[in-house]
Parts: sequence; structure tokens; C-alpha cells
Amino acid sequence: MPFEAAYLYTILPELVILITASVVLVVDLYLRDDQKGLNHSLTLVGLVLALASVGLVGGDQTATAFGGAFVRDPMSDLLKGVVIVLTLFTFVYSSNYMRDRDMWVGEYHVLVLFSLLGVMIMISANDFLSMYLGLELLALCLYALVAFDRDSKAGSEAAMKYFVLGSIGTGMLLYGISMLYGATGGIGFGDVAAAVAATGTDDKVLVFGLVFVLIGIAFKFGAVPFHMWMPDVYQGAPAPVVLFLSSAPKVAAFAMAARILLDALPGLLADWGDILIILSVLSMAVGNVVAIAQTNIKRMLAYSTVSHVGFIFFGLLAGTEQGYAAAMFYAVVYGLMAVGAFGVLVMISHKGFEAENLDDLKGLGDRDPWLAAMMTLVMFSMAGVPPMVGFMAKLLVLEAVVNVGLIWLAIVAVVFSIIGAFYYLRVVKMIYFDKPEVMDPVTASGSARIAVSVNGLAILFLGMFPAGLLALCEAAF
Amino acid sequence: MGFEKFLFYVFAAIAVFAAGMVVTRRNPVHAVLYLVLAFVSSAALWLLIEAEFLGIVLVLVYVGAVMVLFLFVVMMLDIEVAALRAQFIRHLPLGLVIAAVMIINMVLVVGPWNFGLDSFAKPVPQPEGYSNTTVLGLDLFRTYLYQFEIAAVVLLVAIVAAIRLTLRRRANTKHQEPSEQVRVRKGPERIRLVAMRAEAVPASVPRIGSGPGADPNDAKEQGE
Amino acid sequence: MLEDYLHILIFLVVAFLIGLAPRVMGSLLGPRRPGLEKDSPYECGFEAFENARMKFDVRYYLVAILFIIFDLEIAFLFPWAVVLEELGLGGLIAMVVFLGILVVGFIYEWRKGALEWE
Repeated sequence: MPFEAAYLYTILPELVILITASVVLVVDLYLRDDQKGLNHSLTLVGLVLALASVGLVGGDQTATAFGGAFVRDPMSDLLKGVVIVLTLFTFVYSSNYMRDRDMWVGEYHVLVLFSLLGVMIMISANDFLSMYLGLELLALCLYALVAFDRDSKAGSEAAMKYFVLGSIGTGMLLYGISMLYGATGGIGFGDVAAAVAATGTDDKVLVFGLVFVLIGIAFKFGAVPFHMWMPDVYQGAPAPVVLFLSSAPKVAAFAMAARILLDALPGLLADWGDILIILSVLSMAVGNVVAIAQTNIKRMLAYSTVSHVGFIFFGLLAGTEQGYAAAMFYAVVYGLMAVGAFGVLVMISHKGFEAENLDDLKGLGDRDPWLAAMMTLVMFSMAGVPPMVGFMAKLLVLEAVVNVGLIWLAIVAVVFSIIGAFYYLRVVKMIYFDKPEVMDPVTASGSARIAVSVNGLAILFLGMFPAGLLALCEAAF
Repeated sequence: MGFEKFLFYVFAAIAVFAAGMVVTRRNPVHAVLYLVLAFVSSAALWLLIEAEFLGIVLVLVYVGAVMVLFLFVVMMLDIEVAALRAQFIRHLPLGLVIAAVMIINMVLVVGPWNFGLDSFAKPVPQPEGYSNTTVLGLDLFRTYLYQFEIAAVVLLVAIVAAIRLTLRRRANTKHQEPSEQVRVRKGPERIRLVAMRAEAVPASVPRIGSGPGADPNDAKEQGE
Repeated sequence: MLEDYLHILIFLVVAFLIGLAPRVMGSLLGPRRPGLEKDSPYECGFEAFENARMKFDVRYYLVAILFIIFDLEIAFLFPWAVVLEELGLGGLIAMVVFLGILVVGFIYEWRKGALEWE
């Protein structure tokens, strides 16, 4: 398969991110300490250009490049747009926090940009090798980002745990891929799907490989019982890193699950559907119940992530186009909510003070009413209170599950959602009805305030008018 | 059973034995050395399936470079082996049960029923003049071009991450700068004569040889 | 094809035997009279006062990992060099891009002073 110049056009968004990251890396070396703001500007310009190029390259038709290693389709367009926006939010939210802690350096921008590149490679991967390399690129950046605060013991410990468990997760994935390759003789998703259709599904090796691949996917999502790394990593890592970690990589995990399960292994739906049922029910149960006992809000949000992952799996295991679209909608919405929740946390932290405990949110309503309102919107949305978008997302997923006759599953999900609503609403109660323990005014930058307003209002707006986003999600399948 | 099959079993047995030793050795340095043995025997296995380039790269990169890094890391960590072993023994029963379940599962699936010699024919030996390196090169730079370039990005990230996490500028370290040294010219740059008045030695201070003015370093500086 | 490696195999076997022989002969022929004083560790006649394995500076690790990265890069160059004629200009550009990305990393480590030994 010879190289064609047209391929470069297809991968334009990735190229823009790669070039931006390289430029920031080199320019940073020649900047004086008081000029470091240029990194930020360059990064934002690069992200906006990448967003524009996603729009430019995008379209209804599907395009592949590099002999089928790369695919650009409506799903990749939407997800790439979303992860770029999430990364934009990350940078805007984190500027003050990182500057106060002497971490506002070029490497932070570069590593986040390369993680974004890894996410985009995963979203557009069309064979196991590209998927794996994208995943490694993402994971490598995230390990370094978690340990980014070199003087923090908790950060190093979290990075170590993340690295060891992450390596085991990718090792499992790789082993599963090698089994699938052994059984089908191909690494392209299309080739694997064709081989499965031709040879039938009673090949044990195929199922064996599938199980390992699923473990890898569940690990990246943080689904129970592969969630052990999440609370410690969320607690130990710097808040802006968690902000990023909990948003774009989760969207990438969705893309990975969708590409592998729906593009490569649709023939094994009966097998992976059952496994996903177990994973999702366990995730909801453990995530929602354990989150109640947390006093550290980062840990609480980690367990909340676990429970949301259960919902994303629901959409996938329904095995219908409606379900896939609902899962995609949920993943996108979840990214938006996670960015909002951690964004507020980052903003109320300031030099010498980490907003980490639930108590730190007490009385936020008095200290900063607008920020408190945005946090309330996010919490209501995560709890699934109408008219927030979190409610729509849950509703769509449940509808898809009910439509395929898994009513008991929907009931379980609703029960655990109600349990989960408790700890989200407890946060809201603390914000408005408890006396503040710290009275310092919140010193967030103007741009971060604008961003959090956009973020919060988007959650409200999308909840009331979900049709546009939903149509985009449905177009992807 | 031909000679090749015999060799396969020999190297496979060495690899499994070495892997077992890696996880059971008390001394981490020994464990790393056994890992080297495991890699070398795997390289031999790759040679047996005529993947020569990969076999040699395994020795070059893993044994030559990665294992050196492992040794550094093992030496950098001051591991309390005894404490680790206590944990190991405590969790051993549970570990053994899980391992047994895993092994039974894997043997059932990967065992001779599915992966036996019947299901997979013996690979045909490559013809004379076949070069694994050539085939690999063509594949890598034509079919897997995209993945190849991603690999470069992964390596770049590894550089950035390693430097960010481990490089610290130490204040007050003294080091030579050869480029500066070479640039020094004859004359005032090389030697600086300092005129100093002889100081009157107070009567209470002992004679030269033990007083503060007689620090040998001071004398040397003036002499240079 | 595989026969070409026969002499390497023979070499390995001979090397293994040569390594083994002195140890076997030593243990069979040499006198062994272990004693408490003989077996206890010592340093230059003193009692040992610290663990023989001391912590290495993290800088060694940095040098080693940077070496590995460029070692891997070299590993990609071998198959490329072999097939460059068949690949033509496209292959050259592919490698230039690959090296270009790594040169960015090289500039970074140079300017950061990661290669300097303080």
C-alpha cells in the first residue's frame, strides 16, 4: 500500500496537534520564566486550529488512510471534536492552579497535548496495532502527568500504582490481541470481523482472546473489578491532571470499546454482552455504594466515575444502534460533567490550599454564588435530575436496555442511581446549607469563570435540547 | 522429532526455568540476570522460526540496554527483601489458588485441543536467500507506516517524561565547562594578581601554621 | 537457512561447557573447610559496616533511559537501510519524519541539560 498525499489531509487534526506539541516543546526551551504564558497561547491556538480542521476534514462519508490503519467517520469527527473541547477546558481551568504551584511549564502542555494525540489516534484506529499504540501514547503521558508534581509523595505513589496496574492492563490487552490474531490471522478490525463471520463463533481461542481484550478495555474504563487504581490515582494526582484524566481518556475508552467490540467483534455479541452485564452491574453497585463513604471529594468522584462507566456499558451491551448511540451520548456528556466538577475544584483551590475534602465545599454558596450554582448544575446532572443532561443520558441508555428486554437490568440501574443521588445531593446541601470552614474569597481567573459558565450552561442547555447532539450520535452508527 | 524440535524444547525449557527463577530469587540482581537468560532463550526461539531480525533485536535492545536499566533500578531501590517476602508468604495461599484457576483455564483453552499440531501446520521453511530483515523492512515502511510514525511519537514522549520526572538542577554544584576553558587567553584572563597588604598578626594568635590566616587553600589560590 | 546458525549453537554449547567446567572441577577437586570466620563478610579486614548495595543516583537512570530510546531508534534503522532501494523516496521521507520527531526530543534534552553531568 503506497503512501498517498491525500492521507495527510485525512489525518490533518492529528498533524495539527503533533506540530503544536512539538512547537511548544521547542519554543518553551527558549523562553524566559516571565514569558511562559506564550506556551498557553500557542497551545490554545493549536487546539482551536485542530478543532477547525476536524470540521474541515469531517463529513458523512467514511475515509480510510494508510491501508486501513486509520479511519475517519462521523463517530471519529464527533468524538475528536469533543475531546479537543474538553482539552481546551482543561487548559483554561488549570492555568492559575499550575502557575501557583510552579508547574506551569512547557512539559505540562506538551504531555497533555500528546495525551490528546493518543486519544485521537485511538478514536480513529482501525486496527489493533494503531489502537494499541494510541493507548500506549496516552498511558505513557498520563503516568508522567500523575507524577507531575515531583515533590509530592502522594503523586509519585499514585503514578507508581497507576503504572504497574496500567501495564498489567495493557499486557492483558496485548495478550488478548495476540490470541485474536492467532484465531483470525488479521489485525485490521474489518479483517477480524470478516474472519469471525466466516469461521463461526464457537472457536474457544477467539472467546479467550475476547476476554483478555475486554479486561484491557474494562481496565482503561475503570470498571469493577478493574477499578482499584482509580481512587488512589484521583486522590494523589494534581487536580488539573485528574480533571483531564477523568474526561478525554474516558471518551477514548468508549471509542476503544466501540471500535473493538462493534467493528471487530460484532459476531461475538452474545459473549461480550454477558460479560458487560456483569461488569456494569458490579460497577454501579460498588461505585455508588462506596462513594457514599468517602470524605475526599476526589475519591468520591472516582467512585462516581466507576458508576457512570456502568451506564456506558449498558448502552453497548444492548447491542442495538439505539444503544450504541445512547452509550456515545453518555460518554460525551460524562466528559463534560467530569470537566465541570473538577474544574470547580481546581478553581476553589489556591496557593497553599487544595480543595480536596467535601468539607472544603461547605458554604461555597456564600463565598462565590455563581461558582456554587455551576457546581450544583454539575452535581444535579451527575445525579440524573431533570432537566440536566445527565438525566437525558441515563434515560436514553435505560430506554435502549428496556427495548431489548433487559428490564431487570434497568431496574437495578435505577435503584443504584437513587442510592447514588444521595452523595451528589449531599454536596449540594454542603454548598448551600453548611457554614463555611474557610472564608477566603475564591481567586479564579476571568477566563476560567467564563469557561465554567459555558460548561455549566452547556449541561443545562443540552439537557433541555438534546436533539442535536443525539442526532450526531445516531449518525455515527 | 527432528533436531529443530529438540532445540525448541531445550530453549523453551530454559526460558520457562529462567522465568520461574526470576520471580523466586531472593536477590533482585540474580532475578535480573535470570531475566537476561530468559530473553536470550526467547531470542533463540525466534531464530528457530526464522525471525532472525527480531531475535537479534531482542538481544541487542533488551539484553543490551533494557537490562542495564533494570540493574540500575534494582540498585537504586534499597529493597527490604525480608519485608517483601513476609508479604509474599502471607498472600501466597490466595495467590496460589488464583494462579491454579488461571492455569487450568489457560491450559483448557490454549492447550493441545485448540493449539495442537493438528490445528496449526508446521511452517514451511523459507526458501534460500530469504531475509527476515528485508521482509520486515518492507512491511514496516509500507504497510505499517502510520504505526511506525506513532512509535516515534511514543519515543518522544518517553524522552520528555523521563527528563521531566528525574532531571533536577542542583544549585551549588561545581562543574567544568570545557568550552569556556578553551576560550581563556593568555594574560589577565588566566591569572589575576591581587595586591594584599601584609596583615599585622595580633600577639594573642599563635604563629603561622595554625592560625586562620594560614589556611593552605588561601595560599594556593594566591599562587595560581 | 537455519543451518547457518549451527556454528553459533555449537559455540554456545562450548561456551557453556567451558563456563561450567572450572566450577565443577573446583567443587570436585578443591578442599573445602568452611568455618565461621571464613564465611563471615568483611571489608578490608574490618567488620562490614553497611550494605554492599548502595543507592545509585537517579541520574544514572536518566542516562540509561535516554540511551534505550536512541538504541530503539537505531533498531528501526537496520531494516530501513536494507530495503531503502526498494522503498525509494517514500522510504526516505518516512525515516526523515521519524528522525525529525526524535530530533525534537533531542533538542529538548540538549537544551534542558539532561546530557550534562553536573
